[in-house]
Amino acid sequence: MNPKDLFLLSFEALVDRKVRTILTILMVVLGSSLVVILNGLSAGQADFLQKQFNTLAANVLFVGSGQRSLSSFAPPSSNSIIINNVILSKIKSLPNVLDAIPVYTGSAQIDSQGNTQRVSITAIDPSKLPIELPNLQYVEGSTVRSNDRSAALVGDTVVNPQGAVNAFVTLGQTIKATYTYSDSSGKSVTVTKNFVVSGILKPSGNTGIDRSVIINLDAGNQLLHKLNKYDQVIVAATTPDDVDTVQQEITTQFGKTLGSTTPKAIMAVRMQTASGNAAFILMVGIIALIVGAVGIVTTLYNSVTERIKEIGTMKALGAQSSSILGLFLVEASLIGMMGASLGLIIGIGGGYIMSIFTTSSIPGGGSPVHIPPIYNLLDLVKVWILSLSLSVIAGIYPAWKASQLSPMVALRRE
Amino acid sequence: MSTKQDFMSEKNTRTESDDNDSHALRVQNLSKIYDTSAGRVTALDKVSFTIKKGEFVSIVGPSGSGKSTILNMVGALDRPTNGKIYIDDIDIFALNDSEIATLRNKRIGFIFQSFNLINRTTVLKNVKLPATIAGMPSDVADFRALKIMQALGIDDKKDQKPVNLSGGQQQRVAIARSLINNPSIVLADEPTGNLDTKTGNDVFAMLKNLSHKFKRTIIMVTHNPELSESTDRSIFLRDGRIEKDVYN
Repeated sequence: MNPKDLFLLSFEALVDRKVRTILTILMVVLGSSLVVILNGLSAGQADFLQKQFNTLAANVLFVGSGQRSLSSFAPPSSNSIIINNVILSKIKSLPNVLDAIPVYTGSAQIDSQGNTQRVSITAIDPSKLPIELPNLQYVEGSTVRSNDRSAALVGDTVVNPQGAVNAFVTLGQTIKATYTYSDSSGKSVTVTKNFVVSGILKPSGNTGIDRSVIINLDAGNQLLHKLNKYDQVIVAATTPDDVDTVQQEITTQFGKTLGSTTPKAIMAVRMQTASGNAAFILMVGIIALIVGAVGIVTTLYNSVTERIKEIGTMKALGAQSSSILGLFLVEASLIGMMGASLGLIIGIGGGYIMSIFTTSSIPGGGSPVHIPPIYNLLDLVKVWILSLSLSVIAGIYPAWKASQLSPMVALRRE
Repeated sequence: MSTKQDFMSEKNTRTESDDNDSHALRVQNLSKIYDTSAGRVTALDKVSFTIKKGEFVSIVGPSGSGKSTILNMVGALDRPTNGKIYIDDIDIFALNDSEIATLRNKRIGFIFQSFNLINRTTVLKNVKLPATIAGMPSDVADFRALKIMQALGIDDKKDQKPVNLSGGQQQRVAIARSLINNPSIVLADEPTGNLDTKTGNDVFAMLKNLSHKFKRTIIMVTHNPELSESTDRSIFLRDGRIEKDVYN
């Protein structure tokens, strides 16, 4: 039997059992699309983290009180110390330290021309910004002067919030920042301060910066009611190779009272978490594919049982066992091919839709970040081949069973 | 019409020119013993006969006489315990399974009591099936199938599904299918068993016509003594042995 006839006979058999065929294909679609979605989202996440990492200078490390700086999830260590100018000076005096830049951080509400949004506030000496973010560029305007308490730099996401038609702020415009905190008696206190937008930042790829309003250190101290207690110190080592040495020095000097981490370490932790999640969810996808394969076994096995007389007739008419084997394997392949192809299409679309609903929140407040999935052609081909292979493997047993039927026995079946 | 006749008698013309008395089938000392839970059952006991090319032979006998067992073995669907079967002088059980499948495809035509047509596909594709299995090019198979269907009066049904045809028409489709690869012998297992008397007689007349007009070798298993008497020869089986072998 030539391959074309084999294909046509198999196709007709599948069409003859439309509903069952469609349901079986759906099982494969479910599995393959799930794997595609998860692959895409994982790749998007990895790319996002990589971009974040690339925006940071290679020679910096972040120092904070106790464990707080190491992880946003961990509570402050009981023996942590307050970072003030004394501590700052000590850090600056450590060997291989080029500079130590204090930072205040917080979350505030910004009003602009009747619109409001909650943003991250980063208060830093603006002249030191390039040490942390060497690739920082401006769409308009320029950096804030070190002693200018009323100027602000605005990140791209703040200027162009997701879904907004018009820019939230423009260069030279005044914005009002409102920060609320509880005083020692538990009373709510609101601090408001106006800033003039002196620079609009280009998208940096670093969501922390893109979603921030950057202000002068003193202005931050006042607005965020920090009382000269820094949240973080960005320590610049002399060279990237000295980062580990400096980190070691800080640990030696301050013990567990100060926590420090490097962009590389943050990246590694996040990557590890992301890949751990991805591996787990990918397993779910592969299990779904295996369930689909079991569906193929069931479908084809039922098909063999139902078509036993037809198989007997074909064998009586001279069909070779290999042709019968081929007939059912082609059916399994067709189910696999259709399921895998549809799975890729639905998976790609589904990945984009899911990425909208599964936005990632970034420590520091503000609106969640949309991380689009990334589809690698090679990965898609691999998923397609995996789905098809599983389908063919699932078809082997029923096909073999059919091919081994004695024509005489098969013809007797009703 | 001449084309149709040429095609239908193609085999016979070749046979007559080669050897007018050659045998289509030789059965020698054929035995079949089944091991069952009730013990050993002898279905066939040293049965021997020969059938000439172009003969229309009926195999008759009561249930359990061994008719179907013989037909299964002549059709190379089952292997004997002892004995040999030659089709066109080929010892069919000396062949391996793959060669036997090819032999069934090329040299044996099957007509089943319940037609055994594939209902999801068209009449034309059903008739073509043995040719398709043989790997015959589709256009050649179409041509051959349509010629045979024309001869059997079912060419206008080519695009219909078998399930939409009457029993008689379905059996004609099965007959057409049995002839598509121009086999040496046609085996008909109770071909009129599922048909009413009139339709059964029509189908039988068609088989007889194939045998007499186009010199086809046909072996028919039947319960019907009237039909049996109308064949060239009747082989009566009882308890796995030939009771009598009669030329009608």
